Amino acid sequence: MFGYLVIRVEGLSLERFINLTVSKGIYLWDIKRYSYTALTACITIKGFKKLKKIVRTARCRVRILDKRGLPFILARFKHRKMLVVGMTVFFIIVYGLSSFIWTVDIEGAVKVPEEKILQILEKHGIKPGAYKRNLDISAIANWVVIDMPELWWVSIELRGTKALVRVVETNAPPPMIDRSIPCDIVAARDGIIHEMVVLEGEPLVRVGDTVRKGQLLVSGIIEDQETHDVRYVHAMAQINARTWYEGTGIWEFDKPVTKRTGRKAVQKYLDLGKWVIEYQKEDIPFKKYEVVEKRVPFFDQRGLIPITMIVREYYEVEEPQKGTELQAIKEKAHDIAYENARRTIPEHVKIIDKRVKYDMIEGKEVKATVYIEAIEDIAQQQRIIFN
Amino acid sequence: MRKRKLDEVKTTVSEMLELPKEITLNLPKISMIGNIQMLVENHKGIIEYTPQRIRLNSTIGVIRVQGVNMNLKNIAVDDIMITGEIKLVEFL
Repeated sequence: MFGYLVIRVEGLSLERFINLTVSKGIYLWDIKRYSYTALTACITIKGFKKLKKIVRTARCRVRILDKRGLPFILARFKHRKMLVVGMTVFFIIVYGLSSFIWTVDIEGAVKVPEEKILQILEKHGIKPGAYKRNLDISAIANWVVIDMPELWWVSIELRGTKALVRVVETNAPPPMIDRSIPCDIVAARDGIIHEMVVLEGEPLVRVGDTVRKGQLLVSGIIEDQETHDVRYVHAMAQINARTWYEGTGIWEFDKPVTKRTGRKAVQKYLDLGKWVIEYQKEDIPFKKYEVVEKRVPFFDQRGLIPITMIVREYYEVEEPQKGTELQAIKEKAHDIAYENARRTIPEHVKIIDKRVKYDMIEGKEVKATVYIEAIEDIAQQQRIIFN
Repeated sequence: MRKRKLDEVKTTVSEMLELPKEITLNLPKISMIGNIQMLVENHKGIIEYTPQRIRLNSTIGVIRVQGVNMNLKNIAVDDIMITGEIKLVEFL
């Protein structure tokens, strides 16, 4: 820390030299003897200055082999003042820049547009370029939740120069009609009624009935059969009905029918605008493969630094065996159809059955139609309109 | 004769008062870690130092240490630390 010297002492009575130094109160360490007349030792700078007298009395020669420690490093910088200035400036800049937020990342937003969250965050002080030291993170998180009823929960975390905002969205409840307002219940979809629980109101359909979308299921107008008094109620019911969803998929005969085997190879490139640099390149050990190319911005600013990473994923594929091509084509068409059908089904719906129908245009294409049978609550409240 | 008597008194006194004997009797205190390190406190100077043999002066005579590749790790006014492979310690 305070700097020391490695010295080499040559002389005939080295023991005498050591004894004299020590008795003067000079501290020596790491003494190594090389030969009868030479040894190396470490000594403090202060000690070395007092050594002259001893050298004369002990009749030996002292040479400096090495200078170690901070004072010598600093002494070297004395002649390069600008270097020191530059280094200081560099550290100040790095420190300064690292105390700002440079990117804001949002995780967990699906339905709520990120721009909207960013806007609200900006209002409360979290934006690229904000000085992060005087931000009250938890208070801001609370304010964001208050400002955006679409969000249940917000957490803000500062990771270096990045603000990571994690949000959980509310499942927006269906527009509720106030209980004091009379209403009917209508069907939200076509279907066959499977079971119904009517809590309030006059049921107009029975289990097993086929209903169309918009059909009145439970009326909120109750008429007393004897007195013909009319009462308006807020109809409430749970009506589970069998509903159908359908999706189609087409696969042409001349399209290749291949199956991924699960093995893949990844190649990564850095795109620097003008040049493309290989970053990680695996050989492709497959005969047949599909390529999926993805472009990932290297720094997650949008277009600020024009470096993107290109990730090419090579998936090994295999062709179906002879004679099973038709089966494979059907499978492909079915997969597309099923995927299309699934997309139309809301999340809470329970799937109970699935049927597939294949139409084939000989030599051209196979069309698969998937029918998915599901059970769901089709009750939808509708305000009674008085005329 | 007188000297011996004085030493005996000193020993009993230091034992009674639990004083460190190396101070009251002015003896070297030698502590070793295995055979790789040896600390001699209260020595009276080096007589000889080679990587194979070190001789130290002390109040009870010469301490001779023999070994292989021995270095003097630390030297201060009254303690010496020897490192290396120590084979033999003798009091002459």
